[in-house]
Amino acid sequence: MSDATLTGRELIANHGRTRDGLMPAEMPYGTITDEVAAAIFRKPSRLWLVLVGVSFLGVILFGISILVLLVEGTGIWGVNSEVVWGFAVANYVWWIGIGNAGTLISCMLLLTRQRWRASINRYAEAMTLFAAAIAGIFPLLHVGRPWLAYWLAPYPNTMTLWPQWRSPLVWDMFAIACYILFSILFWYTGLIPDLATLRDKAKHRFTKVAYGIFALGWNGSSRQWKNYNSYYYAMAALGVPLVVSIHSVVGLDYAATLMPGWQETIFPPYFVVGAMFSGFAMVVTLTIPIRWALGLQSIITLDHLDAMAKILLLGGIIMSFSYSFEWFAGWYSGGEAERSLIAFQFFGPYGWLYWMMLACNGLAPQLFWWRRFRRGLVPLFIVGVLVNVGMWLERILINMNTLAHGHLPSTFSFYVPTIWDWLMFLGSFGLFCFLFFLFAKVIPAASIHEIRELAHKEGAAR
Amino acid sequence: MSSSPTPFRPREAFVSDSWPAPSGEELLPEARSTTFDRRSVLKLMGLSAAIPLTACSAPAEEIVPYVTMPEGLVAGKPRYFATAFELEGIATGLLAESHEGRPTKIDGNPDHPASLGGTDAFHQAMVLSLYDPGRASLVRKDRRFSTYDDFLGDLTRMRARWQESEGDGLEILTGAVSSPTFQRLMAALKESFPKLRHTVFEPVGRDNERAGVRLAFGDDGALAWHPDRAKAIFALDADFLGPGPQQVGLARAFAQGRKVRTGSRTMTRLAVAEPVMSGTGATADLRLPLPRSRGDRLLRATAAALGVPGIVAPDGLKGREEAFVETLAAELRGAGQAALVMVGEAQPPHVHALAHRINAHLGALGETVRILPPIIEQTAGTSAEALASLTERMRDEAVQELVIFGANPVYTAPADLDFAGALEAVPTSVHLSLYQDETSEACRWQIPQLHPLEEWGDTRAKSGLVSIVQPLVSPLYEGHSPLSLLAALAGDYAVSSHQAVYETWSQRRSGGGSDEAAQGGFEDFWRNVLATGLVPDTGVEGADGAPSSDFSQPGAFDLPPLSDAPPGDGAFEIVFNPDTSVWDGRFSNNAWLQETPRPITSEVWGNAAAMHPADHRALGLRDGSLIALDTADEQRITIPTMAVPGQARGTIGVTLGYGRTIGSIARGIGTDVYPLRTRDSLWFTEATATPIGAHVTLATTQGSHQMEGREIVRTVPLGDLDEGHETGAHFEGEPPTLFPEFERGPYEWAMVIDQTLCIACNACVVACQAENNVPVVGPEEIRRGRDMHWLRIDSYFEGEEDAPRVATQPVPCMHCEKAPCEPMCPVEAAIHDSEGLNVQVYNRCVGTRDCQSNCPYKVRRFNFFGYAAGQEYADLGDPMLNALQNPDVTVRARGVMEKCTYCVQRISGARREATREGRIIAEGEVVTACQQACPTEAISFGNLSEKGSAVNRLREEPHHYALLAELGTRPRTTYLAHVQPELGAAKAPDEEGDAT
Repeated sequence: MSDATLTGRELIANHGRTRDGLMPAEMPYGTITDEVAAAIFRKPSRLWLVLVGVSFLGVILFGISILVLLVEGTGIWGVNSEVVWGFAVANYVWWIGIGNAGTLISCMLLLTRQRWRASINRYAEAMTLFAAAIAGIFPLLHVGRPWLAYWLAPYPNTMTLWPQWRSPLVWDMFAIACYILFSILFWYTGLIPDLATLRDKAKHRFTKVAYGIFALGWNGSSRQWKNYNSYYYAMAALGVPLVVSIHSVVGLDYAATLMPGWQETIFPPYFVVGAMFSGFAMVVTLTIPIRWALGLQSIITLDHLDAMAKILLLGGIIMSFSYSFEWFAGWYSGGEAERSLIAFQFFGPYGWLYWMMLACNGLAPQLFWWRRFRRGLVPLFIVGVLVNVGMWLERILINMNTLAHGHLPSTFSFYVPTIWDWLMFLGSFGLFCFLFFLFAKVIPAASIHEIRELAHKEGAAR
Repeated sequence: MSSSPTPFRPREAFVSDSWPAPSGEELLPEARSTTFDRRSVLKLMGLSAAIPLTACSAPAEEIVPYVTMPEGLVAGKPRYFATAFELEGIATGLLAESHEGRPTKIDGNPDHPASLGGTDAFHQAMVLSLYDPGRASLVRKDRRFSTYDDFLGDLTRMRARWQESEGDGLEILTGAVSSPTFQRLMAALKESFPKLRHTVFEPVGRDNERAGVRLAFGDDGALAWHPDRAKAIFALDADFLGPGPQQVGLARAFAQGRKVRTGSRTMTRLAVAEPVMSGTGATADLRLPLPRSRGDRLLRATAAALGVPGIVAPDGLKGREEAFVETLAAELRGAGQAALVMVGEAQPPHVHALAHRINAHLGALGETVRILPPIIEQTAGTSAEALASLTERMRDEAVQELVIFGANPVYTAPADLDFAGALEAVPTSVHLSLYQDETSEACRWQIPQLHPLEEWGDTRAKSGLVSIVQPLVSPLYEGHSPLSLLAALAGDYAVSSHQAVYETWSQRRSGGGSDEAAQGGFEDFWRNVLATGLVPDTGVEGADGAPSSDFSQPGAFDLPPLSDAPPGDGAFEIVFNPDTSVWDGRFSNNAWLQETPRPITSEVWGNAAAMHPADHRALGLRDGSLIALDTADEQRITIPTMAVPGQARGTIGVTLGYGRTIGSIARGIGTDVYPLRTRDSLWFTEATATPIGAHVTLATTQGSHQMEGREIVRTVPLGDLDEGHETGAHFEGEPPTLFPEFERGPYEWAMVIDQTLCIACNACVVACQAENNVPVVGPEEIRRGRDMHWLRIDSYFEGEEDAPRVATQPVPCMHCEKAPCEPMCPVEAAIHDSEGLNVQVYNRCVGTRDCQSNCPYKVRRFNFFGYAAGQEYADLGDPMLNALQNPDVTVRARGVMEKCTYCVQRISGARREATREGRIIAEGEVVTACQQACPTEAISFGNLSEKGSAVNRLREEPHHYALLAELGTRPRTTYLAHVQPELGAAKAPDEEGDAT
């Protein structure tokens, strides 16, 4: 039997893995293509249909929440006169954080020649795109009159008014817009050779034409590859500062104020790290079911997960440092409002959430000091989820604690989310899953051409 | 440290160590948009059909189109009319602002001695009552629609009977009335029907004051206090700075002696002993929490300490009380003639009489306190006794017809009278009232009354000075004046209120004669009266002259034996007080007042019972826990509680006027405490308190009442100012900024608030609401932490629970020069204008709320719903209420941020005026709504660019400071620190310790 007709699993059985464990030791290009493309051309499984159905319910929920919000007003949420920022802002910051990891993996790891990225970068980028798109919705929903939100954009208008350039929100709008545009372009660029592969493999005329249009006439010539690579690397080089800027600017939304607990110079880097941290956690959380569902165990291996777990560990350590620095800075500033806020964070009514956040973000990743946990699917998945929960708690607590415990004690207040806050959050999650499931069925979940390249470099393919 | 969310407990931040925590209740907000069921659609259609017939139509009598503009009227420019408002028969002169025939705002009449330009919250809220869609608007008979003509038909038959019986069986029940016209018509009616009986009943009233005067001087008289002439004041259970008909006049007079400025470093001292922390108690320099029943003992001790002859010092004084008396006596003795001892209505007559003796002994009688001839015609005995005998007659079926003017005895009568039961025995009962209430439901005839802004009338200030009540608008709803009803009872069905009042005064002027010349002279006089709002030569300053009796020296009287046995085991002294928002219940349908935060506790939309924090803890309660109060005569009410520092131990303070069963706004809000109030215990009673284990979430607007060691309300001892000490209150220099300085123009507006003068009366809060179209949000929204007031009065407790110092602080927008909100706004809706104002452009606002998130003072308010436009609370979206809006101020839409503008519409108005005359705006030309309303003139507003302006002078005072100045915001609204005089030579009472 020729190796070309074997599946990845059989290849591993026959030949073992490459030295760094990233793929079967012998893996023909054809197998790589088949492995990835099979998931697309297979008939949709019942499980997939159920998942798409369930997540579509989430989309409907999201739609209803938005409709009710537009009809009734911001008042359906739990925000109040003092805690004017609630779930919408927290969800925005959280989603955009998740959206950071894809680009990070794609660009930073590409530039630093981390070869293992090849199998995971595609869906990590998709994740980025969807997360950033959802993140982009929340600021719109957050504002009192969403239909006028375009006033944030500088455009020639009869009022001859520009946006307020000093406002972090305007910086934010530019950062998100740039980031989303970049994410789409970068993701699409990476897709082009694979779209061509799918075009070539497709059986139906319609699919062929559809993939063909998006493949932009790719034929895999050396000249195309040369141009493609220079362009792709240049994009990646652009992406890295964007990853840093997007979340720095989000951090500035807070840091540029004079509220206790917000006005801290550590915020921009701390937000960037937090974003990568939550993004990687989300990638880990998604990888585990994906490799199982799409049968990509031979391409996305435990070594990939091991590498990501190490990054999570690093993130957890930096986050813990950031938290302790916040406490120190609060104490060191000598401001009564700052100190009181820190006490409030630990022992106030939201204290239990704060402790939970510390456990999720600081403690949980410490498991990854041990190789056993880094390579165990269950602990990986659980820690991934915990970090996501912890990071979301961090986002909401930043809003709630400071605004509920500001400068004047007479304005101390409380934020209690309403059912609509929760439904909208759940709905956004539904939308994310829905988009992701569709993606997994239509577009190669792993980058075929990059895995081929990897196989070539690893000497697995001939 | 609580680890799970528990209900919101604002005061516990002070009372205990725990943090206030949120409530998990009401997660799902109720949709606010109108549900269009059949009934509401029909209602709306009916209303829109009715509006053109009433609100927007010219009066029936005369139609004058503006073909040529009437002289003096400029379209778009408001006109002001003098009128008056009376509470319990005591008037305050007012000016009503009218925009094209729509009254929109009430302010004080500067010429009226009881106002001098100031107002209280009740006056400010009066315009809302005018338009209130919940007002009675239909004549009803046996709860079915009827007409006034039908009533007159019935009346004719009744009158036939009265003619025969000389009015036997006809009874008239009114509240306290001082109106000369009403008294004239009543006298005429009595002449026709000599056997009719007139009963006066006020649930609060001033019976004890009157009885005290009678006891001390042997004749009826009315008390007039002059705190402006006093150097030391002792208010025993007297909330004279709190709500009530005389609040404005007394507060302004009191403030005269409290203004600490360079060159004037003296202060009137105020000592207060009271059971419940009131606005007066919060203002006091020395305060003693004292059960109501111990007032007698304390005053006797004070009298004895002052050496009032014939007074034996009582024993059994507690350590704290003794120390208080010692300090107090030293202060009063030191002040001598300039001392003033006041006793509140809730104290029995002999305590009032004793106060007269103390005042006389100190030489203060005739100086700081005067006895004036009574202005209110009153039946013998107290009003509760009078009502009791009326009820007796009703029950004996001796009453054929009962005509009730305004009063609501079914709700307010002492519970043991069972007025409602007795009313069933009356064949024909007639009720004239502004609102359909508990009494009108129980009466055969319900006749809607006109609002004071729709009818003519006259009324008297405490001094007897007469004001004419002028209508500003033709009636919005069907209504009838008490004057025309009274005339109708006498057989004259066609008398309008205008005719009645006019006749009274033309008769008085001409002395009965009616020659042509006198008539011409009268027209001039009358026009002058209407323009000024005052009838000259009335009252004690005028021709009505000197008192009929000798009130110069109190006579001898016997003091009854002391009776202040402490309540039995597990029992509390229940203390009744009129409410700061609804008084005795008469204002309870007024949404502005319902949403006005109670001074000190900031509760709105309810009347939780106030308890001492230690008592509260001992019963295992938290704020909002319900307790059952059971009296000896088996009356029970269930009421939520609240721990309030400064409450006397062993007492529970409750306020009247809540728990109404009728009223579009009032119904179901708060707890009715009248069931505990009986003839013999009108002011306090004894009851056991049992927690029932249930809790409600109180609606409060303030988060924590503890300053947490931050310099928020600064306090400076008076002595430190005298010696020119560095008080530390003055912020040094301008904090640095990264932003370029603004250019200074001819106008740089600024406000200075003197915290020593603030009495937390809320007049400014409601005035701001009326002036700036600030919407009401309703109790559910308040519980969610949303409120819309542009100006709030924060209060903080300091010191110990038993003797807290209370600091109050009005907080409007600070109009920071380096406003943190401005750079946050992405669309430049929050910007700085050329006059130093921090303005909010509503049209431009997209509602990001970033401005509020970065406002350290949290003074911005967000329209989470269309509170004023489309999603109003209860019936406040009624089309009629559109007419209430100030046309100079935008009504804000949903999703828009708003805040205090320094009444920019008034600044613009003054600027237009000045520009036309080619000059700049002069000092004092712009008066903000809060400043105008403030009875103590605590708020100053003006132009920093003008060297000699009041704000510039005040900003030079050593006790001037800016709130949170260390943040570098450079606020334009700044404060004068609370100045505290040192009392007496005696030790501070805290050091004495409590003997209990």
